[in-house]
Amino acid sequence: MIVASPPVIPNFGSASKCEQDNGWWCTDWLHQHWGDTLQPALVQHVELSAIAVGIGFAIAFLLALTGYRFRFLDPPIGVLADFFYTIPSLALFQLLVPITGLTVTTVEVALVSYTLLILYRNMVAGLRAVPEEALEVARGMGLTRSQTFFRVELPLAVPAIVAGVRIAAVSTISIATVAAFVIPKGLGRPIFIALEQNLFKTEILAAGGLAIALALVADILLVLMQRVLTPWSRA
Amino acid sequence: MVRKHTRRAAKAAYAVSLAVAIVIGLTTAAAGSAAGKPTVTIGTKNFTEQYVLGELYKQALQAKGYKVVDKSNIGSSEVIDTALKSGKINFYPEYTGVIVTDLAKEPFPKSASATYAAALRWEQKRGFTLLSPTPFFDSDGFVMLKSTAKKLGVKTIADMKKVKSFSYAGFPECRTRITCLLGLKNVYGLKQVKFVPLASISVYTLLDDGKITAGDGFSTDPQLQTGKYVTLTDTKHIFGFQNVAPVLTKALAADPKLVKIVNAVSAKLTVPAIAAMNKAVAVDKKLPSAVAKAFLKANGLG
Amino acid sequence: MTLAAQFHPGTFVDAFRFIGDNAGLLLSKTGQHLELSLTALGIALVLALPLGLWLGHKHRGLFLALGVSSLGRALPSLVLIAFGLTILGIGFWNNTAALTILAIPSILTNAYFAIDGVERDVVEAARGMGLSERQILLRVELPLGLPLVMAGIRIAAIFVIATATIAAIAGGGGLGEIIVNQASYGLEGVVGASYCVSALTLLAAVLLSLVTKFVSPRPEPKT
Repeated sequence: MIVASPPVIPNFGSASKCEQDNGWWCTDWLHQHWGDTLQPALVQHVELSAIAVGIGFAIAFLLALTGYRFRFLDPPIGVLADFFYTIPSLALFQLLVPITGLTVTTVEVALVSYTLLILYRNMVAGLRAVPEEALEVARGMGLTRSQTFFRVELPLAVPAIVAGVRIAAVSTISIATVAAFVIPKGLGRPIFIALEQNLFKTEILAAGGLAIALALVADILLVLMQRVLTPWSRA
Repeated sequence: MVRKHTRRAAKAAYAVSLAVAIVIGLTTAAAGSAAGKPTVTIGTKNFTEQYVLGELYKQALQAKGYKVVDKSNIGSSEVIDTALKSGKINFYPEYTGVIVTDLAKEPFPKSASATYAAALRWEQKRGFTLLSPTPFFDSDGFVMLKSTAKKLGVKTIADMKKVKSFSYAGFPECRTRITCLLGLKNVYGLKQVKFVPLASISVYTLLDDGKITAGDGFSTDPQLQTGKYVTLTDTKHIFGFQNVAPVLTKALAADPKLVKIVNAVSAKLTVPAIAAMNKAVAVDKKLPSAVAKAFLKANGLG
Repeated sequence: MTLAAQFHPGTFVDAFRFIGDNAGLLLSKTGQHLELSLTALGIALVLALPLGLWLGHKHRGLFLALGVSSLGRALPSLVLIAFGLTILGIGFWNNTAALTILAIPSILTNAYFAIDGVERDVVEAARGMGLSERQILLRVELPLGLPLVMAGIRIAAIFVIATATIAAIAGGGGLGEIIVNQASYGLEGVVGASYCVSALTLLAAVLLSLVTKFVSPRPEPKT
């Protein structure tokens, strides 16, 4: 053991009465820790979710094109996406750690997997729901296969696709709270820390409230986008 | 015909998907070829004292120009040890007794220095090593409300034998540790204990609510300074000697400057120091990083 | 990066051995898991199903149905579990409350749209035949809307069973307790318990499909 001069223990400052009594809504804690705890967590959460939905969209889109074009591939892809959804998020995160480490990548791989089910199914359903008449009109106008796809089928599938993105976005924001179990990012982190600190109510309510608000805002924005893109239907 | 902007949106969607797919491909390729600089990747377990320790070592090293990657909140010793072995981290603060009895599964050493020696020996056999231990120790403890202890008339853990049945809460890994539940059952013969695993909540929350008889507390917990709780005496020493010593790869330990910095920090960590820091974080709700910064600064290490 | 070197695909197989070796433990945890899930689902059914069916019948409360659906999806499971714990303290009911809230939206919304969407002509015809409102709902609208109603219940059931794993963080017990304790049970334990959760959700889905087929009076219309 090393012998050294005794340490200087600085005054770290004490907590306000509200914090010490574990009040429901300690405004002084909120003011003090918005910048160093809540805001960074919120920003991380938005990043995690946005990346996951973005990548999930891309992959699901390519898969949907495949499953739509080559019908026989649809059931297996669908089953695979379904399967991912039944894996509990806590387990999937832990499973991925040996492969992708204690990194954002692990969380993103898991989050993307969960979006695939919703997005894939919605996209394929949307493409399939295009009415035969529209395809016949296109054929009658002499459009090529890819022209038909890009000018008729895809645009008509947009409502279903956006509806899928909406559900995927909200559910990703929800699952991303659990990500704090493996990496110290996102709004789940203040919640886990507060749970350990004798259920510090203010932090739990603040972080939880932000997560709910984030999901609602995302939902509303996507509903608006849905309306803008499909004025002919009241979605 | 379909509105123009919807068609555009559809084309945009397609373009975005392709672009994202290409970007993923490129970044994974780039990440694979990133060159390595000697970096310290610090891991910590999932409770207050570990967050503080992690911040202390991290900031001390960063102040002297080292690049430090922070992987806090990994989990229990068993899990963080897996992370160390698989190269996900190369440095973490561990309790010497836990290394010897829970990881190495060797019998209880008889003193703090014997514990450290045994831990060092075991880690070195695996290709890792320990730096100097801290003056403070943090052992688990059989904690209960003072009122409960009075009511049951118990002063030592052995006294619990006369209690017909009782509940004991702790981290999940406590279930399979000789320094915890297994010790209570096998060494003290308390077969009537009912284990309550706590994945995220504090033992003191349950004690205060009266939901459990006793729980696995840590000797440096700030709650134990309040006088509301009492720790039963561990006459058979199942909780061991638990000074903290940083576990790290031999490669990192070969750097004398790094060793000096880390040991200088460890030397200052006495029981009053760590207890004050734990209290600042857990009770006064200060950030571990801020608390560590203040401590390092006050001691000329930050 | 030392990736694949540390990952053992054997973990997936070891998980089955874990299940075999720990059948008793898994059985008791599954029992706890089901107790929590089924209680929450039951309460949600009692609260949401009659309400959804009745509102759909009356063609009222579209805003409520849509709003509950949106709000319900926006409630992150971990947040609800944490709120439940904070407000109700640790025990059985904090997690039950959280899971019930999570189950309600699917049941309510699907029930509403199922009944609301039944063809007006059929309902009018039934009304013309002199059936009471309750009879119309139970004997005409419900059978026709049954697939959608059951779909809502199925979604809620799967969601609750999967989310009950997170309840382990708040003392909920169940299979989640193994999943959060990689230290004691190892990764094969975590995977093994997940297999059980997936199996439970599959079982629930199959059971509900069977119930739907059994209770449906006529073959489902081709969509």
